[in-house]
Amino acid sequence: MEASYSMEETGTVGGGVGNNNNNRATITSIAQDHLLTILLLLPSDSILSFSMTCKKFRALIFSDTLWESICRRDWGSKSVDALKSSNLHFQQQQQLPWMRLYKQVFRLESVSCHNLTYPDSELLVPRPRASHSLNFVSDCLVLFGGGCDGGRHLDDTWVSFIGKGFQKMLKWQKVNSGIPSGRFGHTCVVMGNLLVLFGGINDHGSRQNDTWVGQVACHETSVITLSWKLLDLQSVAPPSRGAHAACSVDDRLMLIHGGIGLNGLRLGDTWVLEVSESLCYGAWREILTYPSPPARSGHSLTCIGGTRIVLFGGRGLGYEVLNDVWVLDMPEGYHKWVQIPYELPKIPEGVSLPRVGHSATPIVGGRLLIHGGEDSYRHKKDDFWVLDVSAIPSISVQQPTTLNSRGLLAKMWKKLKANGHKPNRRSFHQACADPLGCYLYVFGGMIDGLVQAVEPPELRFDAELFLVELVLKL
Amino acid sequence: MSSSSSPMQSTGRKLKLKSKDDETFEVEEAVAVKSQIFKYMVEDGVSNGPIPLPNVNGKTLARVLQWCQKHADPTITEDELNKYDAGFIDVDQAVLYDLLMAANYLNIEELLKLACMRVADMIKGKSPDEIRRTFNIKNDFTPEEEEEVRKENAWALGP
Repeated sequence: MEASYSMEETGTVGGGVGNNNNNRATITSIAQDHLLTILLLLPSDSILSFSMTCKKFRALIFSDTLWESICRRDWGSKSVDALKSSNLHFQQQQQLPWMRLYKQVFRLESVSCHNLTYPDSELLVPRPRASHSLNFVSDCLVLFGGGCDGGRHLDDTWVSFIGKGFQKMLKWQKVNSGIPSGRFGHTCVVMGNLLVLFGGINDHGSRQNDTWVGQVACHETSVITLSWKLLDLQSVAPPSRGAHAACSVDDRLMLIHGGIGLNGLRLGDTWVLEVSESLCYGAWREILTYPSPPARSGHSLTCIGGTRIVLFGGRGLGYEVLNDVWVLDMPEGYHKWVQIPYELPKIPEGVSLPRVGHSATPIVGGRLLIHGGEDSYRHKKDDFWVLDVSAIPSISVQQPTTLNSRGLLAKMWKKLKANGHKPNRRSFHQACADPLGCYLYVFGGMIDGLVQAVEPPELRFDAELFLVELVLKL
Repeated sequence: MSSSSSPMQSTGRKLKLKSKDDETFEVEEAVAVKSQIFKYMVEDGVSNGPIPLPNVNGKTLARVLQWCQKHADPTITEDELNKYDAGFIDVDQAVLYDLLMAANYLNIEELLKLACMRVADMIKGKSPDEIRRTFNIKNDFTPEEEEEVRKENAWALGP
């Protein structure tokens, strides 16, 4: 277990054990295994600083096994396992270059957009809409509902098989109509292989609080079916609402927050749904914590790394458009919302951050990709931002903070460049990521009307489907 | 094992341990089993003579047993334990590494974790130069190599 190399020292390391150089306990006496254990307790910048001290330690950290552990620690196991299985599927390589991957993910600076909508298509395509739901589940894209021209609701379900790669040509299939009942401003999240849908508003203005589960089944020769059924609740459901935010947590739970309730007032409550193993029953319970994010609608809830939930933006009680960031860590039995303060003026182009009706999607590296939305003048956006809250330590659990332990909030917001296809500015669209978190599918939303300089701006619904690719030079 | 009158109830069963420099220690079973290797020995009903520990010297073994004693105490609160651990591990490096290696050899997971965390805390947030000074590591890079390494890590550490 002794280290096999020797290292000259310039001074003593304290008294006690041994009287000659060979027996004096120093950092070199620590076995490699323990050194690696110690390194895994450190944020990445400290690991690299340590490696810069001498040749032996520089060599020590050049291990993809070590960096796989660091990726797993900082991004979550789900992300790493998805990358591994995808790698096996495509390249049959021995091992992914984890160190290079970590570096490239950290250095992400731009996205590349690809148009997936083919105008001349004879194929049936979903009509333009906003405030619908779009999810990636069981290798398929699933679209449901939404609102369209004339404030009418839609009740159709569309599916497109994606498989394991990213495809430049998507074929939509309409698989359902009428169930669940038509609505917009609902939420739909993915729990394992299940879709869980909640709430929404119909075109009579009725807000809902029913909970639905959907399962995709892919039969031979690309016949896909989706069965929706009402979830049997073993508890009181949250008050009816639309334009709330939701996310799934660790494939077992769904969290919702806020939205616009029965009397048109914005809500600020937080609820959790737990679905039974059999997928037949569910139980809701409210999470009461003080302080908690103020009431709002059109905001986003995103789960990163399995148990950390990030809330951003939306429109508050006074109709103002927000830019606050809140984090909820959910280890067993302990829940507390914490606001992450940051100074807007200190962020380049930060003045454009406040927004409502944006999308916030988890991407590789345990971060959020925020796109679009509108500001308080209802001007729509087409920008891409990365939100990184990994520098903020978890409340109740001792966790190593990741990069930038010195300037905690310095790397929180980063605006990305966008290449390729230029999508319309939009709000109340939907975006979802593939299992690797390297590709985003974006569909629909409200875009600027054809007649410019009209107040209020003309509402126009969009049916554009485009792909956002994270530019990771591997 | 618990008694309302005294913090450590003696069961009468003690283990004899002998360090590499021939120091002997007598320790309560309940304390010794903090170490997984003693736990198995106790469960197997082993040994009448002192158990030799050729990889741990007397001074380190004494400290380790002190730690085990504290952690085997049923009346101590988590807060008190944390405070104790913080003080316990605040030692100079030679002692620290001896504790780390002893904890590994004796298979005392919590103590190993404590020692590793302490070393990590000594590295965290420091520049390469500061780390070298802390651990007396000789910089064996040439100026050109050092520049190369600095550039290599600029993506994380800045220019």
